[in-house]
Amino acid sequence: MNAAAGRLDSAGRWVAEQFDDAVQQREAATLGMWVFLATEILFFGVLFASYAVCRVLYPQGFAAASRHTDMLLGTLETAVLLVSSTAMALAVRALKLDARRAATALLAVTACLGLAFLVMHGFEYYREYREHLIPGIDFSQEGAAARAVELFFCLYYFITGFHSLHVLTGVVIIGVLALRVARGAFGPQRYTTLELTALYWHLVDIVWIFVYPAIYLVGRAG
Amino acid sequence: MSTPAAPHVTPVRRYLWVLGALLALLTLSALSALCRLGTFNLVINLGVSVAKTLLVMAVFMHETEARNLTRLASALGFVWLAMLIALTLLDFLTRVRVPKPW
Repeated sequence: MNAAAGRLDSAGRWVAEQFDDAVQQREAATLGMWVFLATEILFFGVLFASYAVCRVLYPQGFAAASRHTDMLLGTLETAVLLVSSTAMALAVRALKLDARRAATALLAVTACLGLAFLVMHGFEYYREYREHLIPGIDFSQEGAAARAVELFFCLYYFITGFHSLHVLTGVVIIGVLALRVARGAFGPQRYTTLELTALYWHLVDIVWIFVYPAIYLVGRAG
Repeated sequence: MSTPAAPHVTPVRRYLWVLGALLALLTLSALSALCRLGTFNLVINLGVSVAKTLLVMAVFMHETEARNLTRLASALGFVWLAMLIALTLLDFLTRVRVPKPW
């Protein structure tokens, strides 16, 4: 028996005792999620700040390093994440309208697009491994800008690595939620869990929106 | 108060418009990166990223319908990050090599 104190409201929603009603409870949960997301923004923020400093110090080296990345694949990955964010938003909408099958399908689409992103990134990492672009392990760049290229790739692996970890976490959570929605665990009066997961997924998307130009689009002209 | 109000939903068409706008902005940033625009490459890339973020936050994350307190909390992370990066760059962008006076 769960010892948590609370009550069921007139719509059959569980309301913990510290809240007046389900609406207040959901707003508190949303606020708490945003506070967590602020810590996520700052987690990636220090990496972006390091990137900004290094790029100011070594503009030529960063342009040369960025040309080693796969712009086409990076653009495709961005598009995939943007579509997956839309699918996630539509999944929450479907659940609010009590369209459980549609919500399950849209969640599955979101998770699959997340997986597709990870697979494409895996191919990128493999190519960089083949081209000896792994600082400290297998790095064969030479010339005046070699140290700056090495710095760029250090930041590249930290930023994209942690981002991919976040995508993987999202894929697992969304996959589990898809199963739970299919089993009827959520509905038009019980969708907070899904909505908060959507906030997380959109933030992971936003992080990538800034990663994309920083990693793939430097020094492409000329 | 027996039947609670149905949850508010955004029309599908608005989500699809936003997706279209996001993909158009992505194309803009990719194509502009291939043109030699100097500093404007950076300006366009950052501008496009900020525009995309505002679209995602406003529509996908329902910021337009959120309470002011939630909006404030969602802006705070970005405000702290802006301070972090701005103050750090203020240092690095204003360093001058001063010759020894003796």
